[in-house]
Amino acid sequence: MKRKLDLPLTITLSALALFVFIPMLSAFEFSIRTPAKGGYGWDQYLWAIREEEFFYYIIRSGWLAAVTVLITLIVLVPTMTWLHLSKSTIRPFVDGISLLPLVIPVVAFAVGAQISFPEFVQDTVLELPFLYFVLALPYAYRTLDIGLNSIPLKTLTEAARSAGANWWRTIITVIIPVIKSAVVGTVAITFALSLGEYTLTVLLHWDTFPTWVTFVAQENILGAIAISMMSLIIPFLVLTAVTLVSPERSTQGRK
Amino acid sequence: MSSKSLTLRNISKRFGNVNALNNFNLEVGVGELVALLGPSGCGKTTALRVVAGLEHQDTGSVLVGDRDISQTPAHKRNMGMVFQAYSLFPNLTVEENVAFGLQMRKVSKHVRLKKAHELLDLVGLDSQSKRFTHQLSGGQQQRVALARALAFEPEILLLDEPLSALDAQVRVNLREEIRRLQLSLGTTTLFVTHDQEEAMALSDRVGVMNNGVLEQIETPDTLYNKPATSFVASFVGTMNRIPAQLIDGHVQLFGKKIPVLRNGNESGNVVALVRPESIAIKSTESDANAKVLTRLFMGASSNIVCQTKDGTVIQSLMSSAESGDLHPGSAVKLEVTNREVLISNA
Repeated sequence: MKRKLDLPLTITLSALALFVFIPMLSAFEFSIRTPAKGGYGWDQYLWAIREEEFFYYIIRSGWLAAVTVLITLIVLVPTMTWLHLSKSTIRPFVDGISLLPLVIPVVAFAVGAQISFPEFVQDTVLELPFLYFVLALPYAYRTLDIGLNSIPLKTLTEAARSAGANWWRTIITVIIPVIKSAVVGTVAITFALSLGEYTLTVLLHWDTFPTWVTFVAQENILGAIAISMMSLIIPFLVLTAVTLVSPERSTQGRK
Repeated sequence: MSSKSLTLRNISKRFGNVNALNNFNLEVGVGELVALLGPSGCGKTTALRVVAGLEHQDTGSVLVGDRDISQTPAHKRNMGMVFQAYSLFPNLTVEENVAFGLQMRKVSKHVRLKKAHELLDLVGLDSQSKRFTHQLSGGQQQRVALARALAFEPEILLLDEPLSALDAQVRVNLREEIRRLQLSLGTTTLFVTHDQEEAMALSDRVGVMNNGVLEQIETPDTLYNKPATSFVASFVGTMNRIPAQLIDGHVQLFGKKIPVLRNGNESGNVVALVRPESIAIKSTESDANAKVLTRLFMGASSNIVCQTKDGTVIQSLMSSAESGDLHPGSAVKLEVTNREVLISNA
C-alpha cells in the first residue's frame, strides 16, 4: 500500500535539509573553485593532504576526541546507572548540574583550568579531554538519560547480578549493549564536539586541528574550507565505524 | 545438583517508617519448595530480595546450609532468580540468555551452550534457542527465565511472583512445569506469591505473612484446615464470619453447641470462622433459619449464598447434584458440620 504523504512533515524536513545542506554545498562549491585556472578542480584538497601538518593535527585531534569519549563513557555510564537505580534525591540536582556547561562561558572554564589544574596536568595536552568532557556533558548526559529511561534497568540489573555478574560486568555485558543506540549517539556527539572545539583550545594555548585550520585560513581561505569539508566527513566515518563494530542485535519490540 | 537448606534468622528490615520485616524467621529444607503468601506490602518480596542479596537486612542473618551469606554480595550467592517482569536480556538470543550465568562463571562456550540446550529442552523451548526474546510469548519468556535461573545449578531457586503477569491458562501450565522441574532437579526453592491457589498447588509448605511477620508456616492441608490465626483463616480460602456468643469454651451456631478450637483472649461476643464446605443446607419450611440469595453453579460443585434471619450472609459449598432444588428465596436450615470451630474477636 502506498503511504500517504505527510505534507507538514515533508515541508518541515525539507526546510531543515535546505538549512543544513545549502551552506555545506556552497562551501563545497567554493572549495573546488580554481581561481587561477578558472572552473573547478581538486587543487585545494590535493594541497591539503600534501601538507604534513594536516595529518599531524587531524591525528592529534582524533586521539584527543577518542580520549574524551573514553572519559565520558567511563564516568557517565556507571554514574548514571547508579543515579537511575538508586532512589537518590540528588538526581534532579545532577540533572541541573549537567546543564551548567551550556550557560558558563568557555573563558571561565579556561581560567578555572589554569587556576585549579595542577601544573603537571597543564603541561600536557591531556588536560583538554577533561575539559572537552565537561563541554560535551549536557548532550552526552541527555542522550544516555533517554537510553536508560527506555529500558527496565532495575530488573535487568538484578537479573544480571543474581546470575553472577558483578557491577562492571553488568554494565559492560548487559547495560551498554541494551542501550547501544544511546551509547553510539553519545560517542558521536562527544567525538564531534571534541574534534571541532576551538575557543577553549586557543585560550589554553594548545594547537589542534581547528586552530590549525584557522591559521591556514589566514593565508589560504580556499584551502581552509577544503580542509573543513574533509573534517566534516570524519565524524560520519567514526559514527559508521562504531555502528559497524558493535554487533547488530535487535532490541526492538520488547513487551 | 548441590542444593542446600536455607535459613533466615531474626531478619528485620525497615524502609523509612515502614517495618517490612520484623524479626522474621524461616527455614527451607533441602529440596523443599516453600511459598511465602500474603497481601501486598506484607514483606514477602522483601524477604526474597534479602535472600537474593538485592536488599540488605538491618539485622539478622541468612544461611545457606551452614554458610552465613549475610554479607555476601548478590552475584556471589549462587542463587537462581525468576522475576515477575520478563527480565530477559533483549540483546541476547534465547540460548545466550540461558548460558549467561555460566558465562559469568567463566565456563567454556562449548560447555555452556550444551548446558543451555539441556535446560531449554527441559522447558520445551530448544527449537527457539536462536531467537531473540521479544519474539517469544510471555509464557515462553518466563520458561527461558526459569531455564536461565537453573542453568548454573544454583543452591537455591528464588521465584518472585513469576506467574502473575501471565494469562490464566499459561499460568496453570507453567506452575505445573515449575513444580515438575523443581522436583526432578531437587532444587531448594523459595516462591513468593499473593495467589493462594498458586501457593497451595505448588508448595510443600506455605508461609502466610502479614505485616512483616510469618503468621503460620505449614503444609497446604494443615494451613487450610487448621489455621493458627484468624488472619490466616481469612486469607487462605473463603471463610464465613458468623457472630456468636462464647460461653465456657463453646459457641452456639444455628442451634448447635460447638467447642472452639483455640480460646485466646476472646470472650463474650466473638466471630466464628467456618469454611463454606462446613455449612450444610437442608431445604425445609418448618424450622428454616435462613433463605437462599443466589446459587452459583461451578460445575461439580455450587456455591450457595444464604442470608440468616439476623442478616448475616453465609456461603456454602455443596455438590451441584445435592443443591439442585435450592433456588433464590428458598427457605433453608443451615447447620455447621465442624466438630470444632475457630473464633476471632468480633
